[in-house]
Amino acid sequence: MSTTQLETHEHAAHAHHDEHGHHDHHDHHELPWYRKYLFSTDHKVISKQFMLASMIFLFLGGLAALMLRWQLAYPGQPVPIIGSLMPDAWVTEAGSGIIAPEFFVKLTTMHATIMIFFVIIPMAVGMFGNFCIPLMIGTDDMALPRLNMWSFWLVPPAGLILLAGMFTDSGFATAGWTSYPPLSADINKPALEFSGQTLWIISIFMVGFSSIMGAVNYVATVLNKRAKGMKLFDMPLTVWALFITAIIATLGTPVLASGLAMLFFDNFFHTSFFLPDSLVASGSFPGGGQPVLYQHVFWFYSHPAVYIMILPLMGIVSDVMATFSRKPVYGYKAMVFAIAGIAFLGFIVWGHHMFQSGMNPLLGTTFMLSTIVIAVPSSIKVFNWLGTLWRGSIHFSSAMLAALAFVSMFIIGGLSGIFMASAPVDIYIHDTYFIVAHIHYVLFGGSLFGIFAGIYYWYPKMFGKMLNETWGRRHLFWSFLAFNATFFPMHILGVGGHMRRIYDPNIYDFLKGFGGMNEFITISAIVMGFAQLILVANILYSLKWGKAAPRNPWHANTLEWAAPAHPGHGNFDTDITVYRGPYEFSVEGREEDYWPQWIPGASKTVHHRTVVVDEHQQASTVSA
Amino acid sequence: MSDFLRVFDMLAWFPENISTFGQALDDLFAVIYWISVAIFFLTFGLMAWFMVRYRARPGHRGYNYHGNNVVELTWTILPTILFAGIGLYSDDIWEKTKYPEQMPAPDVEILCLGKQFGWYFLYPGADGEFGANAYNNRANRALMSATNPFGIDRNDPKAQDDFVVENQFRVPVNANVMVRGSSIDVLHSFFLPHARVKQDVVPGTWMNIWFNLFKTGTYELACAELCGGGHGAMRAEYKVLSKAEYDTWLDGEIAKQAAIMSASAESSETPAGEAEASSEEASADAPSDNATDDVWGEE
Repeated sequence: MSTTQLETHEHAAHAHHDEHGHHDHHDHHELPWYRKYLFSTDHKVISKQFMLASMIFLFLGGLAALMLRWQLAYPGQPVPIIGSLMPDAWVTEAGSGIIAPEFFVKLTTMHATIMIFFVIIPMAVGMFGNFCIPLMIGTDDMALPRLNMWSFWLVPPAGLILLAGMFTDSGFATAGWTSYPPLSADINKPALEFSGQTLWIISIFMVGFSSIMGAVNYVATVLNKRAKGMKLFDMPLTVWALFITAIIATLGTPVLASGLAMLFFDNFFHTSFFLPDSLVASGSFPGGGQPVLYQHVFWFYSHPAVYIMILPLMGIVSDVMATFSRKPVYGYKAMVFAIAGIAFLGFIVWGHHMFQSGMNPLLGTTFMLSTIVIAVPSSIKVFNWLGTLWRGSIHFSSAMLAALAFVSMFIIGGLSGIFMASAPVDIYIHDTYFIVAHIHYVLFGGSLFGIFAGIYYWYPKMFGKMLNETWGRRHLFWSFLAFNATFFPMHILGVGGHMRRIYDPNIYDFLKGFGGMNEFITISAIVMGFAQLILVANILYSLKWGKAAPRNPWHANTLEWAAPAHPGHGNFDTDITVYRGPYEFSVEGREEDYWPQWIPGASKTVHHRTVVVDEHQQASTVSA
Repeated sequence: MSDFLRVFDMLAWFPENISTFGQALDDLFAVIYWISVAIFFLTFGLMAWFMVRYRARPGHRGYNYHGNNVVELTWTILPTILFAGIGLYSDDIWEKTKYPEQMPAPDVEILCLGKQFGWYFLYPGADGEFGANAYNNRANRALMSATNPFGIDRNDPKAQDDFVVENQFRVPVNANVMVRGSSIDVLHSFFLPHARVKQDVVPGTWMNIWFNLFKTGTYELACAELCGGGHGAMRAEYKVLSKAEYDTWLDGEIAKQAAIMSASAESSETPAGEAEASSEEASADAPSDNATDDVWGEE
């Protein structure tokens, strides 16, 4: 294996590093440029590749959202600026610039598919998983670097296949991000013909594959490659969360793959896994299948997937909050058990997406009770975050502000979740904007703000430069304000009965009073979209003109800050031994208010507090 | 101004409830709402207080404290009790609304089919009984077609007076109505916002949708499950009528159906299958003919 040899060789050749790592390192002509920047096996490069790809998709998904918001606020009016550029198939009539009803549904499908499968999962798991795991457990790279490279390189082709849907006769996929059959089986399409929906299935199958490859790698890395002295309960919560997320992904994603494979057969070869025998359709099907079966298979993965999308960010937020409160995470082990509890319960609650699907109402009872139980570990996490703030010394950096936004928005998203967990309440609010509000509070207010926190926190380590804090605060202020102005009113739309994915609410008498609110939401969404440009500008500006980052700019304890400011291939320039847990801030008897994991010294615990015994004792407390 | 204040009172935005079980659902929503408001102020209040009280100041350090199992247990057990309570309270209402064995015996029974993008309804006619169709006879599923969505076999004497209406239905007030819903193509969802009714309809399966409405008037039926490009326009209306008005309408529809059947009987030289198809076509088209702009055209 030449790659492995090369890596070992490099690692040995550069045991001495300056503060800024391997700037000159790449000139050592071991690797051609395409192995350094494109097909790299360095986990940090792969992480940046995930970041770049996801940000491009974030832009596309956001654009789709703003287009469909325009139609909801100003039905039947041409889309400004881009309206005249839209192909004829997208508009009501050539040149009108007015979104057609069919295209509106495609926009909702593409927005959700891109945001979930190509933005949040690649960022939460791909980007942070790759960047944080090896650095935070003090190792040089993933256990399986080449598999890691593959897990990224399945994503761009999958995205292109998804977008290639626009070149088929039917255009982009139409069946929503959940793609329920029979609609997603294209029952009026001849067999052996590709539609946007067929390509959607192939594309999601591929990102699922990427997810599995990443996940097995994370599990292997965490279990095998921890630094000397690091016990599992010395790992930062970010690593714990990513580890448990990876276990969820390895268990759940193959089930999704099986569902998608069956759906592909129905769609492309006209089999009938999910198609009953009494369809009135132009295509002919053997029949005998059951559409609801797909929903069970799909949600068996996709409910755990919502935890794939939020657990890593919960870990990141815990780390950020501890660092900037200068305090240990309150109830570290309780936090780990809560993550594990959410992960376990996440597998037995999928039916709450299906209360009105026609499954046996008895199952509604069981799934309602299990779903409501999952609120318990979620509230444990919230209370522990509040406990972390308690008696801290809180520094309001951009990362901390984003983490606080995460916690507060997750509280609202969690509370709105109780409504739909209660099956009788769900009868009315199911498939309304109340659900849309809930998913955006947890996925945007939660996950995306968590991603912001992670970017503001680790940018110095990723790129060796500091981000501009003032612009960071401005970005978060406008995002937070516009986010709430956009999504809070959607709860009210939902209570009014406003259905999801409808083209024009004004045709319904009972929705007549909501025009103004829809307009307000759209204006807020546009502000929110533009606020993200601040982040992009900050990232690009700081890359070139940002202040050089020190090794440990936040005075944090975890191992990534032991690495050079901009670590090269191989990560660390010293041997790492772990002496204590990740959150020993403000320890009594120490002058500095942080005590990094890699600094020797002995301590003992007195009444839930850590007290220094001997600051200079070498490796005394380690018993791995 | 009051309109502005309404933004802060989520409960004020429900459409009027006209269903007997609707109040229980709305009350449950209100209970969860007020619990949520309380938790919201508790957690946000604590957070705001901590952020101000424990902001970084010169000379202050954080407090190295790793947590306390008694505290952890407290905030594990208290939410468990609270959420279990909500769960049990909810389950009681869920069983009463959706468990088939708890549904009352129907006074009126209607079949409903969703299609891209509209709704068909089948009423049992003068005899109050359905003839053979795709709901009560599995073999009739083979007859389902765009012109005979319910797979009605008009040779069955009981089926001769069964009549189809499109994109509208009527029910008597204060009666237990049972709609057996399905679909001829993709998933749809039978959503009556004012009646607090929502049930996905799945092709190949018949759902029991039960309600009892106490207020007369004209209301809307919407599709709540994505079903294709026309999903947003899959709207229909329904009327809740007094018993007398409902009977009058029923008599009118029965007479129309009888006329259609006798017309097709006159041309009975044609083979049976063809006659059946053409008669069904006529009956399915009948309501939509005079309803290009208004589904209640005849009034």
